[in-house]
Amino acid sequence: MNSRRRWAIAAGAVVAVASLAACGGGDNGAEEALTTVTFWDPYPQHDENSDWATYVEACAPEGMSLERTSIPNGDILNELTTAVKEDTAPSVVLLDNPAVPDAAVSGLLAPAEDAGIETEGPDENLAGPGTIDGTTYGVPIGANTLGLYYNETILEDAGVDPAGITSWDSLNAALQKVTGAGHQGITLAGISGEEGTFQFLPWFWGAGADLSDPGSDAAVEAGQLLSDWIGAGYAPKSAITDNQSASWDLFLTGEYAFAENGSWFAQAASELEFGAKMMPIPAKDGGAAPVPTGGEFAVAPTHKDNASAHYAAANEVIDCLVGAGNQVTTDDMLGYFAANGEERQQQIDADPIWEPWADAITSAEGRTTDLGPDYTAASGAISEAEQAALNAAGDEKAVRAAFEEAAQQVAQ
Amino acid sequence: MLAGIGFIAPLLAYLVIFYAYPLYENVSMSLHRFTRATYVTGEAPYAGGDIYREVISSAQFWPTVLQTATFVVVSLVFQYSIGLGLAVFFQRHFPLSVVMRGLFLVPWLLPIIVSATTWQWMMDADSGIINRLIGVVGSDPVWWLNSDNSLWAVIIANIWLGIPFNLVILYSGLQGVPVELYEAAAIDGAGRGRQFWHITLPLLKPVTAVTLLLGFVYTLKVVDIIWIMTTGTGSSQTLATWAYSMAFGKGASAVIKYSEASVIGSILLLVALVMGFVHLFVQRRQEAV
Repeated sequence: MNSRRRWAIAAGAVVAVASLAACGGGDNGAEEALTTVTFWDPYPQHDENSDWATYVEACAPEGMSLERTSIPNGDILNELTTAVKEDTAPSVVLLDNPAVPDAAVSGLLAPAEDAGIETEGPDENLAGPGTIDGTTYGVPIGANTLGLYYNETILEDAGVDPAGITSWDSLNAALQKVTGAGHQGITLAGISGEEGTFQFLPWFWGAGADLSDPGSDAAVEAGQLLSDWIGAGYAPKSAITDNQSASWDLFLTGEYAFAENGSWFAQAASELEFGAKMMPIPAKDGGAAPVPTGGEFAVAPTHKDNASAHYAAANEVIDCLVGAGNQVTTDDMLGYFAANGEERQQQIDADPIWEPWADAITSAEGRTTDLGPDYTAASGAISEAEQAALNAAGDEKAVRAAFEEAAQQVAQ
Repeated sequence: MLAGIGFIAPLLAYLVIFYAYPLYENVSMSLHRFTRATYVTGEAPYAGGDIYREVISSAQFWPTVLQTATFVVVSLVFQYSIGLGLAVFFQRHFPLSVVMRGLFLVPWLLPIIVSATTWQWMMDADSGIINRLIGVVGSDPVWWLNSDNSLWAVIIANIWLGIPFNLVILYSGLQGVPVELYEAAAIDGAGRGRQFWHITLPLLKPVTAVTLLLGFVYTLKVVDIIWIMTTGTGSSQTLATWAYSMAFGKGASAVIKYSEASVIGSILLLVALVMGFVHLFVQRRQEAV
């Protein structure tokens, strides 16, 4: 190829690239009034014609319209990462609470103080994941947690008194009784990843284990409990791949006596024919185990251009959703609990199905409160150990080895 | 001269923007330490070959390579031989042969989310239909998706998924084999077996090479069916699912690891590239004969 031709080709490519880039357009950085406020949530189950969509759109600040986008929970943080890079992030995001520290330390979120978001109000245990190294980044939109649902018809048939289930021993005894009577035992979601860890934490914390040390004897005991359930046939083998919807579907068949699942199913459970009630998840030696809080935080992503206009809009939308007096309406729509104790009490008083959950949500713990952004790695290691424990189907050596491996990973 | 450049420029721009640039970015990402914060701060310290060394020396690397190799080779062998068997079978025209051939394409037409979920149900250890059938024969149920067995579970599903592709390509390849050859062979006294080994197989060689090469590249990068069935847990982790899990912080890799994922991506590209050259070499040799 002669040099003139080579030069010309290069020039042609440059021209083509440059003309494409020009289509992208640039912002001159001047502050201008927003006409639309963009809003992301992880609720694709509520489509654009749903009550939730209408409700959120009504929260648009005066003179603006609100454009809502739903992104599956597992993808929203990655989408936000690239959007912040391109400075096309939405004004408001509802972000799953364990993802908030990771997002905050990566510089994706504006501190609540800078954005002017009111952070007073939510209960401390529920607001915990929003504060990283003393800086608060957002407010809980509401909260949910885990409980132990049981099938009244089966327990009655097997002669098990639910009030007697207060510890792991009494739960194991009940499982033995119901399976002995020809029923199935318990459904839970052990799927690899954060969802599996979320479901494992009540047993992990209930044994007295600490997130900073997943290799402790207590952690191994929690893994052994679940491993034995698989080994003894109390829990289905599909627990290793079931997510919370799949494990709920198994409970809905009416064959299972127990189901570890979330408060977001409380409404659906109250309508079941076989009579599904909820009890707090028992701790190893008795009493209710600490349960993790679930639910999203309303946060304002960082913006380069027009930041103050975005923050002001975010502020108004967030206030409309979780400001004083509005929480119960928002959370009823999502099947969540209000994050403020007083408002939550009104919510519980108004609907008796929430009653058994009251203590669980008050004493629930944020997953990331202890470890902050390091939680993500710990959760991954614990999830792997839990997977290995379930696969071991009772093998004590394998369970211990799995949790020791997790401890090593966390230490690295 | 200028006009020539004008004509080639759009193609060149397309290649640069959609092929060269992403490739460059992938390799560059595997040489720098990317974190989530990199997207905001732009800070990605240069690490040279360090990340390659870390990934290759990690405890997961070689087992994953072995699992990937097993997945690809076993899948290809069965997909090809079953596909070829069916193609030969359907070469004879009989009533309903077209309808039946059409039915064999179903796996190809179904969305993978549907077929993978169905396989997951069928392979359920407690109530799946496969274990019930095994029970009828009197064998013990198999925990298909257990970490030890999951590689074989996904291989079985993937073979089923790949048969139509092999069937279609090999069937159309068979149409190119002149009927006279079979007639002549029959007159010379060759039975069906000899006809297959000495006519069908040799004349299908070019088609076989393309089928296996495409099959290799497709199978090497399979993520969806494995991910839906097992989230890449246990022995079903392949290089592709490992890269996916690290690149998006899903499944076993909770922490996002962009650079490590692009190391695996680069390795996969290299392997596919080598296979491409092997294909070119084989093709050239065939043309020379």
